[in-house]
Amino acid sequence: MSEKQTILIIEDDKAISNFISRALTASDYRAIPAFTGREGLSLFFSHGPDLVLLDLGLPDMDGLEILSQLRGLPREAPVIIISARDRESEKVRALDMGADDYVVKPFGVSELLARIRSALRRADRMKLSQGIRRDVYQIKDLMVDLSKHQVLLAGEEIHFTQNEFKIIELLAIHAGKVLTYDFILEHIWGPYGGTGSNQILRVNMANIRRKLKENPSEPQYIHTELGIGYRMLDD
Amino acid sequence: MKDRLWACWRWLEERYYRVPAIPRNLGVTALFLWEAYYASGILIGHTGGENNSALIFVLAVALISLLTTGYFYGIVASIVGALFINIYFMEPYEVFSLSRTGYPVAMLSMLTVSCMVCALTARVKKQATEAVRREKNTKALYEQNEKLNAEKAAIQLQSERIAIRESILRAVSHDLRTPLTSISGAASVLLESPDISEKNVSMLSDIKQDADSLIVMVENLLSVTRVRDGTMSLKMREELLEEVAGDALLTTRRRFPDCKVELELTEDILYLPMDPLLIRQVMVNLLENAIRHSGDQEHIKMRLYRRDDWAVAEVEDQGRGLSPEVLQAVRAGETMPLNGDATRGMGIGLSVCQSIIKAHGGFFAAENRRTGGAVFRFGLPAEGESAI
Repeated sequence: MSEKQTILIIEDDKAISNFISRALTASDYRAIPAFTGREGLSLFFSHGPDLVLLDLGLPDMDGLEILSQLRGLPREAPVIIISARDRESEKVRALDMGADDYVVKPFGVSELLARIRSALRRADRMKLSQGIRRDVYQIKDLMVDLSKHQVLLAGEEIHFTQNEFKIIELLAIHAGKVLTYDFILEHIWGPYGGTGSNQILRVNMANIRRKLKENPSEPQYIHTELGIGYRMLDD
Repeated sequence: MKDRLWACWRWLEERYYRVPAIPRNLGVTALFLWEAYYASGILIGHTGGENNSALIFVLAVALISLLTTGYFYGIVASIVGALFINIYFMEPYEVFSLSRTGYPVAMLSMLTVSCMVCALTARVKKQATEAVRREKNTKALYEQNEKLNAEKAAIQLQSERIAIRESILRAVSHDLRTPLTSISGAASVLLESPDISEKNVSMLSDIKQDADSLIVMVENLLSVTRVRDGTMSLKMREELLEEVAGDALLTTRRRFPDCKVELELTEDILYLPMDPLLIRQVMVNLLENAIRHSGDQEHIKMRLYRRDDWAVAEVEDQGRGLSPEVLQAVRAGETMPLNGDATRGMGIGLSVCQSIIKAHGGFFAAENRRTGGAVFRFGLPAEGESAI
């Protein structure tokens, strides 16, 4: 890419904003800091960034309000939420409102950069595919074939139940994105079948993990976002 | 003066009622009758035939009724008095006679008066005791009311304090975490930039490590205040223990990239209620404890399994093992001393673990393994969850 990608940082703490800017500049991005919600929105209009980092705890505006305004615009950019660890429900709501990902304070630079790369890659993919549905998803050694209803791990077929396959399919389609429990439940068990089936989802996931020989401390394919949901890793 | 007299009276009254009832009543009756007899004797010496002994005896009977319990002694005293008057203070003296005109009337009226006095004094006494009882009741009610009011005020104060403390904790956690995040973040940005000398690299990584451990320390302090005061209830939710453990290991690996920590799972699916963030913190603390204090950074392993009705997690190492002081403190369920050579700073972390596990109704144990090294183990209640 000839031009540098632009990242808007909406964060009220100067020190944090500063080190994020430094890290982004060092990684060859163009960083634009905004210290209030209003400034963030106006900079979004004037610069049209490729990605937004949004702190949910801003002094002048509710972070979720900013998110919904950004989502209502024709120009789309992936949004990564910055939030405290103990505010899970806030993160879940932000994700359900269309945020792409989140990082938890205190976060490391490498972690943040990895999330940014992943979100930008996914946005590119979306632009390229323009809604064309793929049949085969390949993630490292894992191949998910939607038309054949088949999952191969390093060439070997693994048998999953109907629901287990549906979960893998959903995660693969949205690879790289955090899917909240409610999102998955609604897509697999329907808007009304989802109540109380959190346990079914979790147990299904435990079984999938055993069949894929995944250790949650060294996830190869499915990453657990504790208290929030799951993410299929895409790199 | 009045007070002293009153106190004197109270003292006398108290002494008086301490004597057993029968001897007291008998004594009082005999004493007053004798005094009436004596007084009448003196009077009759002065006035001759005309005497007021009947009045004196009525007075004695009235006093006796007042000071004895029940009607019995008053009536006996009035009969005895009538006899005395008849025998000693009416002609013919020293003889009982009914010959004198009007005597039966006098006798009867004296008996009636005595009985009435008895009845009246008895009633007065009853009213007095009733009044005392009522006063006591009122006083007790009043005191109780006061106590309730005080308790209410204390509870109000307590809840206000809790609210204040919660907001302070929230503020502190935010205000400490944010600068620590930027310190650690800035240090890691500098670490990755190419123009930093080797000497500065080691200093920067020290800054980063210390900032990171301060972050952990802040979280520990927050949790321990929360759990020990009971100011915030546990945020219980059903979770897969393996996912919580996975998150704890990922966090630990990020902080100590050079150490080798492993997670060993069972086939059992451990899905049970817990406060996942706090349990994760227990795991992070135990792993960090092993890394920092066991002397072994290569063979640290966390193992999850089910034993009876417990979902158990244990962290083992192959290091130098635990000192008797630490073992003793864990066994006694005591909270760790926060400093001291024996625990070498294990205090806060382990203390937080114990408090969190206790709040979950679980068990916490530590021992030295026969093959060397230490193992810390905790269990969470998981009854009835085996069906899935």
